[in-house]
Amino acid sequence: MKFIFFAAFVLYGIAVILEFTGAAFKKDKLLKSAWFVFLGAFAVHTVFLIVRGIAAKRLPLSNQFEFANAFAWGVALMLIVLRGRLKTDWLSVVAMPAALLVMTYAALQPMEIRDLMPALRSAWFGVHIGSAVLSYSAFVIAGSISLRYLLAVKKQSADERALRQMDYLSYRLVAFGFLFLTVVILSGAIWAEQAWSAFWTWDPKEVWALITWIIYAVYLHLRLRMKRRGTAMAWFLVIAVPVVFFTFAGVNTFMHGLHTYG
Amino acid sequence: MKKVFNYLRSMRFGILLLVLIALCSVAGTVIPQGRAVAWYAQTYRSFHGVILLLRLNRVFESWYFIALLVLLCLNLSLCSLLRIRKVVSAARGETERAAGLPDAVRLTPEGVERLRAYLTDRRCRRERIGEVEIYRKHSFGRCGSFITHLSILLTVVFGALALYTPTVVDRDCMPGESIFMEDGTEIHVRDFRIADETGRLDYQSHVQVTLPDGRRSELAELKVNHPFSFGPWKLFQQTFGTAGSVTVTNLETGGTDDFLLTEQTYLSADGVTGILYDTLYPDYIRDPSGNVTLITITEGSYPNPIYQVQVISDGVFTPTLALPGDELTVMNLRFTFNAPVEYPGIRIKHVSPLLNALLVAAFTLMIAGLYITFFCEPVLVKLDSEGYAVAGPKPEHMRVELGEEFREFEV
Repeated sequence: MKFIFFAAFVLYGIAVILEFTGAAFKKDKLLKSAWFVFLGAFAVHTVFLIVRGIAAKRLPLSNQFEFANAFAWGVALMLIVLRGRLKTDWLSVVAMPAALLVMTYAALQPMEIRDLMPALRSAWFGVHIGSAVLSYSAFVIAGSISLRYLLAVKKQSADERALRQMDYLSYRLVAFGFLFLTVVILSGAIWAEQAWSAFWTWDPKEVWALITWIIYAVYLHLRLRMKRRGTAMAWFLVIAVPVVFFTFAGVNTFMHGLHTYG
Repeated sequence: MKKVFNYLRSMRFGILLLVLIALCSVAGTVIPQGRAVAWYAQTYRSFHGVILLLRLNRVFESWYFIALLVLLCLNLSLCSLLRIRKVVSAARGETERAAGLPDAVRLTPEGVERLRAYLTDRRCRRERIGEVEIYRKHSFGRCGSFITHLSILLTVVFGALALYTPTVVDRDCMPGESIFMEDGTEIHVRDFRIADETGRLDYQSHVQVTLPDGRRSELAELKVNHPFSFGPWKLFQQTFGTAGSVTVTNLETGGTDDFLLTEQTYLSADGVTGILYDTLYPDYIRDPSGNVTLITITEGSYPNPIYQVQVISDGVFTPTLALPGDELTVMNLRFTFNAPVEYPGIRIKHVSPLLNALLVAAFTLMIAGLYITFFCEPVLVKLDSEGYAVAGPKPEHMRVELGEEFREFEV
């Protein structure tokens, strides 16, 4: 089964190399090839998720490897959906490396399948963790688009309309991610009450999810109420991505708490 | 005074509070919470005085953190009130105001036709005012932000009540025994096991609750993630333990006594001769030469339990290991070591089901509010024979969408 994972990983890597080369030398053929390789990687990745789910007899979302793997899959899925809807290819150059980065983190984690511990056997498991996958993926893509925005502004390589589209798309992704992060926190609270008897325990993972929520809440207020747009908000979203990664991986690595499942 | 009031209800103040709460939260996760003072002194050396002075060792219970939450509630209350007033007043005469707007984008006649079809396809309601058409949809979308802020306020208030008002106690209970609460409620634990039918690690008790008024629950299964509620009580499978089980037989009288042992215990008839129960190990390894290595930790179960005791006779302590089924005779007492008994640690919470229901309702309201805010944005488009203008409280979504769709028809 590991072979399927590494096949997807290598294909993502090839797609990123082709994408960068194509973008650097402005070769449309390479860019197209990159996209097809990426779609192939996504298909293999999906197969891996299904096979792992069948082998584990549960949703493959229980430990750092499985979550990172699903997270990378979420980023890839979001890129495919957005590219399909927007009919634009500038997204790929920033979102593909994001998927590869998360996949690399997954590859460094222990991969063995373990029986689900009793605390995780709950109807909330899929809702809570599935929402986290969607939420984090949206934030990472929003950050990637913002990075693209900043580069475009610096190089003056995009017109006003394209910049506005990037800015707006980042905001929509944050709105989507924010809704799902709220679902993560609230479903987690209900689940925590069932499992640990309290809705909120100030566990590091809970607190960092709240911190992430606050950061994006501030972004949404600045953008929607104070009408802030453009470079400052793009920087905001780029800087927020490490916080998302810390909430996802850093807390489990550096802090001990109730969410330390391996 | 008015300036203070305006600041308290302002978004700037709300954002400042959120940032301060986030910063306190960072401190609360970076600095381990609730440890002994000596631990901070040893870990942070000269800096520990600052930590204790600023209550960074108990950030989430500190006066300033609670003050920030109270101020956030105040800010949310005031801005929610203000928001609903604005929403109501802005909704009045909105259509007429939109009809009076000049065209923001001029379109070709074909573009106008296409836009008309586009808005109709999206199930916008049409209203005609003179030569102008007004298309609208999701008028309730303007309430999304109000609903979200109100639900956050309710979540903080109900959440604080749900967190700090219930009485919570943790009790161990041997299978077959009962826990009695102060009000006379009896919680009877019939049995406990730590593996399910397939051998998977799980923690299950069967419990029955009898309230002071005589009402009795069914025998209920209690396990992780499956609490049991009866009356005002909610029971949680919290932890477990393993007790040593020893039967003592007095060889002179033939009388027997069973003991469940969870801590060091001296079993003796005369206070001079007997055995001192030290502990019970879950597993051991015996090498070919007969030496035994004791294993202190296994995952949940006790696959090969082994007792460590000291036989005390004439003031001499003799360390001894015993397996379940073994017998030791000391003077006129026979100690029979039985299979260990697993027992549950139950968390007993006195809750208000109404409060929990209100909190979950606030959660649901927040999700609904956010969904309405971001995905049911109000549509209010004025269309005439030369072009269109987007009006309403949240026009950006429509402006971008129409800007992209009808770019080719712009004049």
